[in-house]
Parts: sequence; C-alpha cells; structure tokens
Amino acid sequence: MKMIKMLASSSMITLALSVVFTATSLAQSPKLNDAEVASVAVTANQIDINYAAVAKIKSKNPDILKFAETMTNDHKAVIAQAVALVTKLKVTPKDNAVSKKLMADAEKTKKSLLSKSGKAFDRAYIDNEVAYHKAVISTVEGLLIPTAKNAELKALLEKVVPALKTHLSHAEMVQMNFK
Amino acid sequence: MNKYGICFVLIAFLSASCSLTSEKPKVYTVEIKDMKFMPDDITVKQGDTVVWINRDMMAHDVTEEGEKRWTSSLIPPGSSWKKEITSTANYYCSIHVVMKGKIRVQ
Repeated sequence: MKMIKMLASSSMITLALSVVFTATSLAQSPKLNDAEVASVAVTANQIDINYAAVAKIKSKNPDILKFAETMTNDHKAVIAQAVALVTKLKVTPKDNAVSKKLMADAEKTKKSLLSKSGKAFDRAYIDNEVAYHKAVISTVEGLLIPTAKNAELKALLEKVVPALKTHLSHAEMVQMNFK
Repeated sequence: MNKYGICFVLIAFLSASCSLTSEKPKVYTVEIKDMKFMPDDITVKQGDTVVWINRDMMAHDVTEEGEKRWTSSLIPPGSSWKKEITSTANYYCSIHVVMKGKIRVQ
C-alpha cells in the first residue's frame, strides 16, 4: 500500500514537472502574433474549465467541488472578456504550436485524472491545479504579456495574472488538506 | 428676561451645541480590484457605511469571517454592496477564500 502511494505520488510529481517543463518550453517558444496570443489565452482558460468538469463528476469532497466551481466561473469570465476584446479588435484567435501543445498535454492529464477515484483523485486534481496554475502564470508573464502587441490585449493579460495567483494560493490551501 | 426666557435661551444653546458636536455617519468605499480589497483594513465609527465596489472581471462576495454573521451574497462585476457597520469584523470573499479584509470600529 505504501509502495502504491509512493508510486502515485511520484507519478503526480512527474506530471507536475512535465507541466512546469511545458511552461518553460513555452516561454522559450518563438514569438506569437496577437491572434495566436489570444488563442493561447483562451485555450489555457478552457483547459482549466475542462479539469473542473472532471472534478465535478469524480469528486465528493466539498473543498474540491467548491474550488472546481470557482475555476469554472472565473475562467469562463476571463474567456468572455477575451472574446469581447477580440471581437472588438476584429481579431480571430488562431491555433498555433503553443495552444496545440497545451491542449495535447491537457488531454493526457485529463486521462490520468479520469483513471483515479476517491481521495487519490482529489489529491491528483488539486496537485495538478497547483502545478497548472504555476505553469500558466509563468506562460502569461513570460510569454504572452511580453509578446502581445495590442495594448488592450496586453492589459487584459496583465489583469488576469492576479486572478491566477489567487487561484494558486487557494489551490495550495486546499492541497494542504491532502498532505 | 424672565425665567421662561432664560430656559428658552438655554435649550436653544444646548441643542445648537449638540448639533455641532454630533457627526453625521460617513460613507467609506472599498474597491475590489485585482483580487484584493482596497483598502483591506479600514477604521470607521459605529453607524458609518462601507460600500464595496467590484471592479474585477469575476464575481466576489463580502462575508464576515468568524461566525458568518453577515454576507453580501454574490457581487457581480461592476456592482456594489453596502452595509452599515455596527462592530469590528474580519471579512473575506467566500469564493476566493484567500482574499481578506478588516473593519475596525473606533
């Protein structure tokens, strides 16, 4: 049993590291145009909504469910702002290597989450939320904000960072319950 | 001046003094911006009102932290909520539980 826990723990660390590694790789990616920046921003938010949807199906823990509900509402609010802005700017978000990589990695994580249940799921979900928010903060600050040319798009990305950091602190607080 | 006249002058003086010394309740504003209460620590007098204005893109609430004695319920983006303050309180956003503030009654 101890061995299984160790393996589960090490697989989550690997998962977390891969997410962080992805962010590091993303930060070194070639520069994107504003349509591609918008696409990455929307994709990153949609991925966390998708994770929350899995949590709502699999978890019975009130803290996890409440956190997942907050992620759903907040990331939907960010997407709504992004859509309103790109509509105003007449920019169509464009898929690119970064958004495709984000989505492909998210699909793998989602499969891994779906394979777990009970406390193991709750722990895996919240560990992933901590790692994912760290990675997204790193990507937004290190890649998207410096790359965005349009001032309003840059301002929107800057406005999102405090929300992401608050989500990270909240996730770390929930994570403490599973230590 | 007879005794009724003296009483009238005295009452008029006292009521004028009272109206000069008693302050009208004030209204204070706390902005909810960048996932923070600004200011996050405010000192008021009993009977003053605090208005919280949500300038973020997501909904928040304002909830008394200790015994949940009062809550704003959901404050959508661009909306506000006000409360007459009767006692010192620590409060937080129950949606984003790391967002905290304090009202001190002096």
